[in-house]
Amino acid sequence: MGLILFYAAATLTLFASFGVVATRNIVHAALFLLAALAGVAGLFVLLYAEFLALVQLLIYGGAIIIVILFALMLTRSGEYEGETETRRRPFAAVAAALLFGLMTAVFVADAEQFNTNTRQAIPFRTLAEDLFAAWAVPFEIASLVLLVALIGAVVIGRAGREEDETLPEDDGPDDAQEPVRRGSRRRAERRRRGV
Amino acid sequence: MQVDFTLLIPEFMLAGLGVLVLVVDFSVPWASRGAKNGVLAALTVLGLAMTFAVTLWMQWDTHEILYEHLIYVDRYALLFKALAMAIGAAVVLISMEYVHTRIRHAGEFYALIVFAVLGAVLMAGAAELLTAYIAIELLAFCLYVLVALSRGDSRSGEAAVKYILLGAISSAVMLFGIALIYGAIGETGFRRSELLLEAVFGPTVALGLGMFVAGLGFKLSMAPFHLWAPDVYEGAPTPVTALVSVLSKAAAFALTLRFLAEAGNATLGEWQLALAILAALTMTVGTFTALVQENIKRLLAYSSVAQVGFVLIGIIALNESGARAALLHIAGYSFTNLAAFAVVIAVEAKTGKERIADYAGLASRSPFLAMVMSAAMFSLAGLPIFAGFVTKFLLFTSAVEGGLFWLMVIAVVNSLVSLYYYLRIVREMYVGEAAETGRLRLHVAASVPVWFLFAGTVFVGVYPAPLMDAAGAAVGALAPFL
Amino acid sequence: MTLLHFQLLSAAIFCIGLYGVLARRSAVLVLMSIELMLNAVNLQLVAFGAFSGFGTSTGQVIAVFVITIAAAEVGLALAIVMRLFRSRGGVNLDEIDVMRG
Repeated sequence: MGLILFYAAATLTLFASFGVVATRNIVHAALFLLAALAGVAGLFVLLYAEFLALVQLLIYGGAIIIVILFALMLTRSGEYEGETETRRRPFAAVAAALLFGLMTAVFVADAEQFNTNTRQAIPFRTLAEDLFAAWAVPFEIASLVLLVALIGAVVIGRAGREEDETLPEDDGPDDAQEPVRRGSRRRAERRRRGV
Repeated sequence: MQVDFTLLIPEFMLAGLGVLVLVVDFSVPWASRGAKNGVLAALTVLGLAMTFAVTLWMQWDTHEILYEHLIYVDRYALLFKALAMAIGAAVVLISMEYVHTRIRHAGEFYALIVFAVLGAVLMAGAAELLTAYIAIELLAFCLYVLVALSRGDSRSGEAAVKYILLGAISSAVMLFGIALIYGAIGETGFRRSELLLEAVFGPTVALGLGMFVAGLGFKLSMAPFHLWAPDVYEGAPTPVTALVSVLSKAAAFALTLRFLAEAGNATLGEWQLALAILAALTMTVGTFTALVQENIKRLLAYSSVAQVGFVLIGIIALNESGARAALLHIAGYSFTNLAAFAVVIAVEAKTGKERIADYAGLASRSPFLAMVMSAAMFSLAGLPIFAGFVTKFLLFTSAVEGGLFWLMVIAVVNSLVSLYYYLRIVREMYVGEAAETGRLRLHVAASVPVWFLFAGTVFVGVYPAPLMDAAGAAVGALAPFL
Repeated sequence: MTLLHFQLLSAAIFCIGLYGVLARRSAVLVLMSIELMLNAVNLQLVAFGAFSGFGTSTGQVIAVFVITIAAAEVGLALAIVMRLFRSRGGVNLDEIDVMRG
């Protein structure tokens, strides 16, 4: 029974992954990605990691896909049907196939060594305790990472004039160099014109 | 579990400083952009200086591992903490003028530099794989944002896209390696992994280690993972280029040396040759591609790649003198590269130009800047009385000591070839004809760190003993040399 | 099912993602392929955690952090891509390549 479920989830995930990289319609690619992520969530359930499956669906499906779709909309990517660039495809396919071959060889060679043939469920309580006690430092650093990403996304993503540019310009750099003064006059003109 | 949080005070201070800069930025009613720029820069530098002092005072003699396996607080981490904070303060000072004219969002700029320093500090102290990965991402995110912050220059957007996409790919590769290592031995702490890795060494462990080092290699801009460097260096705002070239490399080296020394010591025979070949490749590719560059930022990018190859020699030898030489070279390279970039920033802020040909006649327009740049070039080339000579000499001798004679030969040849492009800049400055006349004066805030960096470059070349002792003490904290 | 099943599946997804990264030219598509690679990593981690008999939660903890950082990375990367779109008018990686090499 478990094996059937595994193959079902695995087929979904593989098919969807191929869809992401092969389809010409970029919005379809985003939807294929959603399917692939859902497949992985199903595999997590098979591995008795239910919390992780939930997190996977919520964050990937609920947040990341939405953001990607917004980005596709805002960059008008839907208007361009796939790409006509096919020069790189053979090289990419060969590279990916080689890596897959290498990984398969490695995993099959060590198949006996790391496998115990029984799936072990990690109690949710253990996961929670470890996350906040044993791994407290990475947890706190991760919060800073999120802060930086937030600042970055806001600062970079905004367009147009910001408060920074409406502050009065003071004298500028110390010494009087012709190019710089001309430059700042040009900048002031551009700002007045509202560019 | 008792945890001594006082050991993490430097990290707390840095995080607090970053947030403080942001809060001051948006809550104070500023009179003008210049006032805002000046106050925020001063706040950042003072904060970094204070944290620097507190760190040295508190952690001079500490040797601890927190949470039994997450973070080291010892001499090795201390050296890099001090280095990172000094680099951060120096970059803030030398970029004040550039920020005023060419960057929006001064507050975020300085705050992100502080967070980047924090990321570097955490990378230097990381004692296991997950903490290392998250610290790497913290530093990387700060740099991704900083690269994109330029006002009006569309190359910075392109550089940022390339940087973040390639960075994300390398993170994925590194994580796959971490997954395999964890899967094989069930442990992520460096010290605990060493013997376990040797015990189960086989295809999976080898692949895991290989992918992990490949991911790290991207951060180090080691060949063949260095291709992002020239475009990112060229497109980013020059102060950010300086930060990327010095801070991220120093932090990545700290982590790499620590990981290889503590977790890879027992399996040295397996990976030493592979890494040595990569180091040779890195040196050669960096040197020979630098020969044909016309843009000074790209030239410095490829020169950094070559320098990475040199430092790797010290790490590969994995003996005490090699590790010490590597640390020394990183410190010397940091001073030198920052000095060179300070000159580039000053020239770009005044003239907006960044081609090597535009440096013609710089000596007549600003003798001081030309002198600093020459010192930096001589040091990078490895000429005597400058820091580069001492550190390269120590690296080469440690290579011979470690039995890697062929690697030393390649390094020496590359060093000689690199003389061409380093000296070419010096020649342009002193012999070339200036296109425009008029003095170029360095911004007053920038001249302090530049003098200090210049003095450091010469001092380490003439009297390296104090720095060598510091590096020796730092290396003594690593497990194999305890 | 054994560990090998999950490992091979994870390797397949990773390599498909790698193909996408190398072959596709739209920045957003490259980002989606990177997400596939990161999911493959998570699958490896959780599979090892379940099958290897260590009994620790480390695999799942690392996976949680990977999801977190990946989400942040996507947000930041898309902001940068949008800035690029505003300044260059497109997100095709071949078209925007102004800087040599």
